[in-house]
Amino acid sequence: MSALEFRGVSKCFGSFFANRDLSFSVEPGTIHGLIGENGAGKSTAMKALFGIYPIDGGTILIQGKPVRNKSPVQAMRLGIGMVHQHFMLAGPETVLDNIILGHEPGFLRLDRERALEELKKISETYGLHFQKWHARVDELSVGEQQRVEILKLLYQRSAILILDEPTAVLTPQEVTELFENLKRLKAEGKTIILISHKLKEVLTHTDSVTVLRRGECVGTRVTAETNEDELAQMMVGRPVSFTYEGERKVFAKADESRAVLRVERLTIEGVSEPLRKVGFDLRPAEILGVAGVQGNGQTTLLRFLSNPSRYRSADGEYRFAGANRMGSNPLALRRAGMALVPEDRLSEGLLLEQDLVENYLLGQHEDPRFVRNGMIDRSKLRPRVEAAIRDFDIRPPYTNIWASRLSGGNQQKLVIARALDSNPNTLLIAHPTRGVDVGAIERIHEAIMKERNAGKSILLFSSELDELMDLSDRILVFYNGAVAAEFSRREFDPWAIGRVMGGGAK
Amino acid sequence: MKSTWYASFRSFLRAVAGAALGLSLGLLICKLVGESPLKVLHVLYQSSFGSGYDFGMTLFYTAPLILTGLAVAIPLKGGLFNIGAEGQLTVGALAAAWAGVIGASIQSPVIAVVFATSSAFLAGGLWGLLPGFLKARQGSHEVITTIMLNFIAAGVTAYFTLYSIKDPVSAQAETIPLPEAFHLKPFAAFNGAPMGGLIFFLILLAVGIHYALWKSSWGYSLKALGENETAAETYGISRGRSWMSSMFLAGGVAGLVGLVEVLGNSHRFKIGFSADYGFVGIAVALVARGNILGVLPSAFLFGILQKGSASLDLETDKITRDLSYLIQGLIILGVSAEDLWGWIWQLVRRKK
Repeated sequence: MSALEFRGVSKCFGSFFANRDLSFSVEPGTIHGLIGENGAGKSTAMKALFGIYPIDGGTILIQGKPVRNKSPVQAMRLGIGMVHQHFMLAGPETVLDNIILGHEPGFLRLDRERALEELKKISETYGLHFQKWHARVDELSVGEQQRVEILKLLYQRSAILILDEPTAVLTPQEVTELFENLKRLKAEGKTIILISHKLKEVLTHTDSVTVLRRGECVGTRVTAETNEDELAQMMVGRPVSFTYEGERKVFAKADESRAVLRVERLTIEGVSEPLRKVGFDLRPAEILGVAGVQGNGQTTLLRFLSNPSRYRSADGEYRFAGANRMGSNPLALRRAGMALVPEDRLSEGLLLEQDLVENYLLGQHEDPRFVRNGMIDRSKLRPRVEAAIRDFDIRPPYTNIWASRLSGGNQQKLVIARALDSNPNTLLIAHPTRGVDVGAIERIHEAIMKERNAGKSILLFSSELDELMDLSDRILVFYNGAVAAEFSRREFDPWAIGRVMGGGAK
Repeated sequence: MKSTWYASFRSFLRAVAGAALGLSLGLLICKLVGESPLKVLHVLYQSSFGSGYDFGMTLFYTAPLILTGLAVAIPLKGGLFNIGAEGQLTVGALAAAWAGVIGASIQSPVIAVVFATSSAFLAGGLWGLLPGFLKARQGSHEVITTIMLNFIAAGVTAYFTLYSIKDPVSAQAETIPLPEAFHLKPFAAFNGAPMGGLIFFLILLAVGIHYALWKSSWGYSLKALGENETAAETYGISRGRSWMSSMFLAGGVAGLVGLVEVLGNSHRFKIGFSADYGFVGIAVALVARGNILGVLPSAFLFGILQKGSASLDLETDKITRDLSYLIQGLIILGVSAEDLWGWIWQLVRRKK
């Protein structure tokens, strides 16, 4: 008997089918991958299962019995647990309190001791080795917070664990750890559903995999009997290449004195990721990659470069477009030709409850093309947004919907289109393809390379080493707040770069 | 644009339906205490629209609520909760009265009114700017600072009223009366209710602010800041400038209550003249869901209810003042319960 089965399940929003006639089943005690492009309906299907959305047709069966979940509470009672992509934890409260929230033991008096005993036992049984029960959640690393979420599901005795894009926010080490833990959970009989669009991790860590495309089920495969190419083709509906194979124009060796952006001895103390004597320059017609394990100063560097006014205590030199930029604000940098794709599009890049036109205006709200005498002319802006929707194939293709209606990949396309809109000569781009589906990755990579080939300067931050090596002309490796080494394109080698990322010598 | 317009219209219809629902519940309660619902409706209607005087008085109650409703709704766009309209309007009203003392020799009504208006706006605005500045500079929470400034405003205005410009011939705590040039003329059709062309000015003001927030780069920045502070800052929107300007505007608008009360009605500043306009303004803005134009009907609703509850107490046997407040509360609840309609709709659909 299957642990879970979808029989012809449909879910529509208005006339739009987010899920159409989905049928697949998940065997107990396995890790089952659910993959598909952004907007393919993976999250909708799981939210329907978890009782967040009511379904409009078909049947969901758990342990062979049809169920009709009306709320997450009911789903939890049926043994279904979900770790959302954006964690649902109360930051200022302790780990223990977060875990027992909603399932508090004891009558009248909250019996924390009993809960702690039980949790220690659970942590032991599943080999999670968690210790920090009394730490505040917001003081934990992202990987630890995720473990708290998983512990919470185990405490609720969930038999089916749904993980929505669990690796999107983790460092490579944390990813390894996560999958080791999941393997142990599987061995103890738990059923795990892994929502992902990273084919490699699905291929290495699942037992079977179901592919969705445009709300429909394309097929289910035994993981051992399939491969990256087949899955990608099922997802996108056409063959896909994974490395950038487009044109890379060769320019005459750039004169170092022509640097458009130069940083010297940049030191920023008193922040969570300090910088120590960082120096580099960015030349015309190049992509300069920035590599490093998350937390080694890249975030501070990007924030400083895009908004130096935020760092009054910064020491050193920052020149851009021929002027000193220490203490500048983003609008001044923009006027000098800089554009930004921030690290986290949700918190730094979008106004979720505004339509796409309003979002497209962010950062361009004083651009003379759209604004005269402080008054915005939205009729000039709307055609630009429509063009961006066409060029980047943003779906659904409407200007008057909230940004929150777009899936992650489409949101990212919007942010990138907006950055390119003013035809900047320098781009600071962070994680351009994080959480973006395979089809869109190609398009984004092409767009970035097109800018380079047109002579633009691009500083590219990414946690995907493959992406950096594909696109960059040079790579700077950050370690402990400083540039640990620079690699030119001839020297690119994942092992050598990885060694420097881990603190070794070049 | 069309969809936005449609959404606002639907939201307005829901509000009207909500008011009707709240009123029906209120009438049901009236029935239970033994008063005829028809009689109650009649009294409510008569007291707000029955005569020129009644309608004028309803507008007179509405006017300060439009201003304080705006004073709450404007900073709300930028994510600030202005609890300080009460203090801002007090300071503005005193400034209007003081303008009359300083400008006693002004003969031209136009110059006199402009002078008093700008004094009221500036004084209220500066009083609002202060918490905006503290928030931008020190991160002081605006709810705390604006509440505190309400008390300070009450103390400061009382001091100046009693020790600087007190009316020497009056036994009350009030300032020297304004000269004739400063008086705003009421409409004759209102039979003595103190409301005139000012009401059109207030409607224009709300429309103008709505337009500025939607069209200007300033308004966009404020809205973006209210929606997502981190993103706004990342893309170069200055928190300090937006917060301070919105609080200055809000305070200034609240200060214009001085026009309604001082120039239009009592022609002097009286300590404690405000019937909690600043606090009712919070409810006005919330019922309008922060929508600038929505403040107009929302303030009008509150005006009608305020006028009506006094009459219900007087003109019916069973309905006391407290009970009329209860009816008022039910109507406001009905308007605010936006999700109610989605819920009812779902029930209806499931039945089918």
